[in-house]
Amino acid sequence: MTRALVPPVVTEGPDLTKLRLEVRAFLDDQVADGRFVPHVDTWLTRWDREFTRELGRRGWLGMTIPTEYGGHGRTFLERFVVTEELLVVGAPVAAQWVADRQIGPSLLRHGTEEQKRAFLPRIASGDLVFGIGMSEPDAGSDLAGVRTRGERVDDGWRLTGTKVWTSGAHEADAFFVLARTAQPDPADRHAGLSQFIVDLRAPGVEIRPILSMGGDHHFNEVHLDGVFVPDERVLGQVGEGWRQVTSELGFERSGPERFLSTFQLLAEAASAMDEGRLPQDVGLGRHVARVAALHQMSFAVATALEAHAEADVAAAVVKVLGTTSEGDIADYVDTLTATGWVEDEELYRLLHAAILQRPGFTLRGGTNEILSGVIARGLGLR
Amino acid sequence: MSASLDPRLARSTSADPDLVAMLSQLFDDYRAARSAPREVIDFDAELWARLDELGLTRLTASEQSGGSGASWFDGAALLALAAGAGAPVPLLEHGFLAAWLLEAAGLPNDGRLRTVCRPDPAGVALNVTYGRDAASIVALFEDGDEWRVADVPVDRRSITRGRNLAGEPSETVEFDLADLAAGATVEEEVGEQFHLRGALARCAQVCGAFERIVELVVAHVREREQFGRPIGRFQAVQRLVADLAAEASLARAATDTAVARATDSDWTDPGLLFAVGVAKSCVGHAASVVVRNAHQALGAIGTTLEHELHTLTKPALARRSEFGSIHEWDETLTRLATSAGHDRLWSLVTTGRAAPPH
Repeated sequence: MTRALVPPVVTEGPDLTKLRLEVRAFLDDQVADGRFVPHVDTWLTRWDREFTRELGRRGWLGMTIPTEYGGHGRTFLERFVVTEELLVVGAPVAAQWVADRQIGPSLLRHGTEEQKRAFLPRIASGDLVFGIGMSEPDAGSDLAGVRTRGERVDDGWRLTGTKVWTSGAHEADAFFVLARTAQPDPADRHAGLSQFIVDLRAPGVEIRPILSMGGDHHFNEVHLDGVFVPDERVLGQVGEGWRQVTSELGFERSGPERFLSTFQLLAEAASAMDEGRLPQDVGLGRHVARVAALHQMSFAVATALEAHAEADVAAAVVKVLGTTSEGDIADYVDTLTATGWVEDEELYRLLHAAILQRPGFTLRGGTNEILSGVIARGLGLR
Repeated sequence: MSASLDPRLARSTSADPDLVAMLSQLFDDYRAARSAPREVIDFDAELWARLDELGLTRLTASEQSGGSGASWFDGAALLALAAGAGAPVPLLEHGFLAAWLLEAAGLPNDGRLRTVCRPDPAGVALNVTYGRDAASIVALFEDGDEWRVADVPVDRRSITRGRNLAGEPSETVEFDLADLAAGATVEEEVGEQFHLRGALARCAQVCGAFERIVELVVAHVREREQFGRPIGRFQAVQRLVADLAAEASLARAATDTAVARATDSDWTDPGLLFAVGVAKSCVGHAASVVVRNAHQALGAIGTTLEHELHTLTKPALARRSEFGSIHEWDETLTRLATSAGHDRLWSLVTTGRAAPPH
């Protein structure tokens, strides 16, 4: 037998279920109190720093950060169920997203003691909001083409270049920048890249909006014009940037945000069908089934990651299937609706947002075309 | 990995690794030694005797009833590996359904080959697999308000032989209504569970077929050269293969989840209907992609009688429609989802029940 692409499913234990219900009860109250309006794709589109701080107070941010750095020393599985509950209810989690998912684990793995103490407690409290600067105008899927350059100066580096698609840079405090610190080596295209922790308020940083096709402002172009970064804000080793950014991809790609971005729409469609606002159609059951299976598959990958098992290929499988499915839900509900016949503001609010967000689902965090290549490699085809 | 799991957080659902290793070897050997595929599949008495010797023909039946008392985790592994080898034996019919029905009805089981069916009110059952080979047919019969199980010997029913899409024996059986009415009564739940057990066991078999298909496809596209390189080097082919392997993985996750829910609750979990429906839906729709892409990747050779591929793709399609069509199961899931509604849909997805557990 060839090795399975995805680790075997595991069932949720009682402590996780208890935590899940605790988070759910809190979120139900928040919705009932009008604290937020449930929406789709909230991990990109809904910022609410006060809500994020409240999660921090409850111990639901920086859960896997050790207590000595202000975190909660809990497992990735506990973080997983909290994350799922936040996403399904459509809570405004964009402010915490990048810091909680990627920046914290990266700092723990590659950061200096001083960096950990400087950033991790404020990530766990929800006071520090991070972005991430990888893509560039000429470096999308092919990140080795990064042109932003870091030049050695006294006591640090000067960064010059342009980052694009930086989610929430206009709201965030700092971001991680991947920059070239050595001339390109044709024999090893991924050599000579380094990671920097950059203050988005530093002199020389200019942030311009890139409006999405619905007119919303989530993405930015960030220009760095000789921005000074002191030596103590280099992340990890100079020249090891590629290895550092790819080492965390399993967490980034396999999480529940890869199949739950449109769950609020699916849930609303279930009620609409029940109440005759949408026609009865078996496609609903088919989509619900896929979400249920993806929930199990994503949890299985989280379990493997918790056990430090290799899971890059499994994460790619979750992301390809999940992002396709969450987008298909938007299109499916659209095929059932008859504009002009049914007045249903809530359904259309969610549906229209989902349709407009959908193209991004299969692009962000590695396009499905790139990830299919990762799966093919896992099968031994390349 | 499973050793490091804290059971308060997550529990492993895997089959016994020693059993899986033994079964893998057994069915690999079987596949290597058997003759070329034919258009029809006949019962393999020699393989059956070997499986019986090893205590595998009634693996999940209780030891008191003559079974091996293994869990459904182990049972699902057996069904999958046997299906991956295209083994022509009624493991599901005899060991997972007939044996269980007899036990539920308090009827004796002498271990001779049995198949199983649900006759209609006129006493007619369609698509009874391996009916011609069975010594006795176990019928689950809805007799007015009561459910009955009758163990009807070979000489007491009329059989019209047929073949299903896979080429397996698949008969029309006409019972004498008096034989059915003489059956032992069972609880109503037995009737419901029969459908769930049958559907889930079929899912396990189809997953096993998928996994062998992935092996065959990967081996072929790495070996077959066109335009001076293995066709697996072409991105278009890689995409075909990645998609079919991903769908097979999703089907496996859905099936294992339902098996875990069944095993952990001894089939009493009220969330089982949803879990089995999810498995049936994911497996059924996955079959569309897996079968289509596998045949595309294998090229013309994969469409021939001599090639192994059809011994997997045909049964996968035949079995996905048994114990309820994909459409019927999608309908069931739709009904569960609409009655759960907006506020309870997530509870349904995670537990199979619209209300959270207390």
